Amino acid sequence: MTLTAAAPLAPFANEPLLELRRGAERTALTQALADLDAHLPLRAPVIVDGAERGGLPRRSVDPGRPERVLARAGDASAEDAAAAVAAARRAFPAWSATPAAERAAVLVRAAARLRDRRYELAALILRETAKPWPEADADVAEAIDFLEYYARQAVALAEPRELVHVTGERNTMTYAARGVAAVIAPWNFPLAIPGGMVAAALVTGNTVVLKPSEQAPACAAALYDALRGAGLPAGALHLLPGGDEPARALVVHPHVHTIAFTGSSAAGRDILRKAADVVPGQHHLKRVVCEMGGKNVVIVDADADVDEVVPALLHSAFAFAGQKCSAAARVLVHADRYDALAERLAGAVATLEVGEASVFGVDVPAVIDPEAVERIARYTAMAHADGTVLAQAPLPAAASAAGGTYVAPLLVAGLPADCPLLHEEVFGPLLTIEPVASVDAACDIVDASPFALTGGLFSRSPATVAHVAARTPVGSLYVNREITGARVGRHPFGGNRLSGGGTKAGGPDYLLAFVEGRVVVENTVRHGMVV
Amino acid sequence: MPPVATPTAPAGPVPAEGDPAPPPPAVAGVEAAIPAIGTRLAKAMGRHHDPRAAIEARMMDRIADRPDLRAAIFRLVDVRPACRDYPDIAEHLAALLDEVAGRPPEGPVRSGDLPGGELPVPLGLARSLARRHGSRTLVGVAGAAGVRAMAGRFIAGEDAADALPAVRRLWKDGIATSVDLLGEATVSEAEADAYRDRCIEVLRTLSAGSARFPARPLLEHDQHGELPRVNLSVKVSALTPHLRAGAPGRGAASAAPRLREILRVARDLHAHVHVDMESLDHREAVRDLTLSLLAEPEFAAGPSAGIVHQAYLTDAAAELEVLLGWARRTPRAQPLSIRLVKGAYWDHEVVEAQQAGWTVPVFTDRRACDREYERLTDTLLDHADLVRPLIASHNLRSVAHAIAAQRARGLEPDAVEYQVLRGLGDPLAAALAAEGLRVRTYCPIGDLVAGMAYLVRRLLENTANDSFLRAHASGTALDRLLEAP
Ligand SMILES: Cc1cc2nc3c(=O)[nH]c(=O)nc-3n(C[C@H](O)[C@H](O)[C@H](O)COP(=O)(O)OP(=O)(O)OC[C@H]3O[C@@H](n4cnc5c(N)ncnc54)[C@H](O)[C@@H]3O)c2cc1C
Repeated sequence: MTLTAAAPLAPFANEPLLELRRGAERTALTQALADLDAHLPLRAPVIVDGAERGGLPRRSVDPGRPERVLARAGDASAEDAAAAVAAARRAFPAWSATPAAERAAVLVRAAARLRDRRYELAALILRETAKPWPEADADVAEAIDFLEYYARQAVALAEPRELVHVTGERNTMTYAARGVAAVIAPWNFPLAIPGGMVAAALVTGNTVVLKPSEQAPACAAALYDALRGAGLPAGALHLLPGGDEPARALVVHPHVHTIAFTGSSAAGRDILRKAADVVPGQHHLKRVVCEMGGKNVVIVDADADVDEVVPALLHSAFAFAGQKCSAAARVLVHADRYDALAERLAGAVATLEVGEASVFGVDVPAVIDPEAVERIARYTAMAHADGTVLAQAPLPAAASAAGGTYVAPLLVAGLPADCPLLHEEVFGPLLTIEPVASVDAACDIVDASPFALTGGLFSRSPATVAHVAARTPVGSLYVNREITGARVGRHPFGGNRLSGGGTKAGGPDYLLAFVEGRVVVENTVRHGMVV
Repeated sequence: MPPVATPTAPAGPVPAEGDPAPPPPAVAGVEAAIPAIGTRLAKAMGRHHDPRAAIEARMMDRIADRPDLRAAIFRLVDVRPACRDYPDIAEHLAALLDEVAGRPPEGPVRSGDLPGGELPVPLGLARSLARRHGSRTLVGVAGAAGVRAMAGRFIAGEDAADALPAVRRLWKDGIATSVDLLGEATVSEAEADAYRDRCIEVLRTLSAGSARFPARPLLEHDQHGELPRVNLSVKVSALTPHLRAGAPGRGAASAAPRLREILRVARDLHAHVHVDMESLDHREAVRDLTLSLLAEPEFAAGPSAGIVHQAYLTDAAAELEVLLGWARRTPRAQPLSIRLVKGAYWDHEVVEAQQAGWTVPVFTDRRACDREYERLTDTLLDHADLVRPLIASHNLRSVAHAIAAQRARGLEPDAVEYQVLRGLGDPLAAALAAEGLRVRTYCPIGDLVAGMAYLVRRLLENTANDSFLRAHASGTALDRLLEAP
């Protein structure tokens, strides 16, 4: 395929979500799932310069029924990583010299390919990560949004910036690609997050090596296919499914310029530390774009509408089994409302439906793997030992019988202030609730946390809303609504403090993380004359 | 729960937005009869004017073209039940008005501040007084009283016993009622059980209380036979915490046992149960649940029961065919009542669709919605031998059209029921009764906290620039109001 400059792009609009309230949409998704199941297992090989390398020794499975193998996947080595970086480096001059409009056109075409496979991709996400239909569909829509949004941002960014102008000199500032970007992605948004990071790096002219999560290689392969099918040159993107080895190799590689990472705090800090070392053969400082964990607090003031608080908390804390970095973990309620809210929330948690992700209406699916079950079980034990379990939703015997990694959703109160369950990220369906004397007391607690990703506030006083908005350090404060479900272009997303570097994905400044400024100052005076 | 039927292709052409009004499947003379009917009703309504409603209408009129002020007042009404005490109400009022006046929410009060910048004088005064220690409670009391007065117009009483005198008074005046239980949202099984128990309790109380009502033949009989005196409206969303837009079967299955119990009690007491319609997110659950329970053998002989049909949905014609098809296939001793409304969730439907990127499922042109209502009225009246048509609207044109259509078909006066909401349609109900028609007022009961969501919705509806009631209150000429949409 040849690259041709596209017509000017229409203004960005979010990709519509599927209207799951319509029976026809649900039928189409169920059919897509059956079609996918008939084609399992898929293949997700290591791909460097468009060519497969090595075998397919790894497996990704359905967490709800682990005997169902989703994909046979490659197991990239450090040598594969080195080969991928070398190939990306070779491709860099041509790709970074490609006009921004052409690079943007590749993204827009890739978005169209994802759109064409909408149902199939939602089914794939659902199977590979046990993500229920509404969230799986939103994942595809968000991936499309990132491609479309960054395409437009990149075209705008290619225009020279206005600088102060004086007679006798011509000043311009432009943004140039940095070089090879390594993208290290998580499994919980298996299409959207790698899609966003890869799209941002590519569209600004970087070449990319993608290391997807070991739990979701097939989703990454689908992303790769969409971009290559849209006309992306083979040298611009390389795929390294596997374990930690290729990721570690990428981080310390002298020819990697940018590392875009989304994942745990521990891994993120390790990357930051290693990326700071300049190794032999490295002629630049590495930049790390990182999105890490959170411990997200929702504050409920005395004037909140409990009717709205309960469903919003239920969804924020338990949808997709709480495995979103934006998920609600801790509720701080004004003492005047505590008893009422705790009682009603407990009643609501007991109604949560745990079960297979493919069943429409299931609230809490299996968590990603046995390791997650173990981690959550540790916190569950803490809840029982140190606090009062207000509610626990039942685990259906049938679901667990299939060997799925299910855990029971929990609402916990009465924990001592220093209990780790109140301070560490659980990444599971656990919610804690505590009374506070005032909104300011709640803000103090939020302030004391090293995390600052998302936060919530329920209040019907404009004064309180303004006050908390001014005080809170979190990256995104959601007022009188659920705290998950950020939409590209509307709710730029990214944590502050130890939750991340502060970049906001899906926001107007995100692409700046993938470029470096270049300024040209030209003297236009010749022989004392301005020419 | 098996789905009852899925609407497939619409039976007739789906009306396009803003298309020129096609002549209704003509029953001759309907259009010509409307002005006289409408004028007579309007005159009769004038005799039943509620002075409280008039004061409120004037106030609403003043704020209707100030969306920011309107929002502030609604937000105060909304937060009122959650306020600790009077000073707390005053603080909320001040903060809300600060927002309107475009000031920093915590700005200090300067003495030159009276009256507030862009606020109408009384509200500017209230804002300043609310900031002062001595007068704060006063403002809070006034705010609370205002909210209570508004609520009193719409809500018949705190519980069934409390509401019984109002129900009896209306009955004596020739107006039947349907009682609706306001309540907090249902988020747990216990709350769903409590709502079911309240429903059953209300059925018993009203049944005992209405036994000695005087006979009102027009209200107690129609072409299909006897009509119950006791009439209860229920909401499926209150009967289950499991409603999910993407899984209608889940909510329906969970609400079914509770609704079944209510239906059994109603059958034994000879009462009517009407299932209200909610937002489109839950239409499939509400429809499938209601129709599948009514098809169960134990309910073949009763109770009298009904469902609601919303004309504002662009697929309303196809959906009505689903209901009529079910009625044809499912003979019951008490034919299905179908309450035709425009729909109470218009803003929600538009906002939700716009935020998610969906085709807006409702008409966005008022006249297109009103035309569809008249078309559906015609279809319903054409099937008065199959179902019980109920026309629920406060729009004089919509109602006058239905009356004309009823008469043009030679239907008896009791063959169609007209319905209004308490507090919004009281003068219209009286006028309809005077016209010799069968009329019923929908009477919510519950306390102020529970009723707030309902109250805010009614107030918003009443003051929407698009509403018939507002056009009427602000003095639009009657012949304009009665024009064909
Ligand atoms: C007895 C009774 C029971 C009811 N039960 C229900 C129920 O179960 N479920 C339910 O949803 N509603 C119910 N309603 C409310 C009803 O749907 C209407 O909201 C209300 O009656 C106002 O409509 P109207 O015909 O009286 O007034 P009108 O002023 O003629 O119409 C207002 C209505 O038009 C529609 N509308 C507003 N703006 C626009 C626009 N720009 N374009 C197109 N349409 C617009 C909206 O539906 C709005 O409510 C009930 C009403 C009554 C009287």
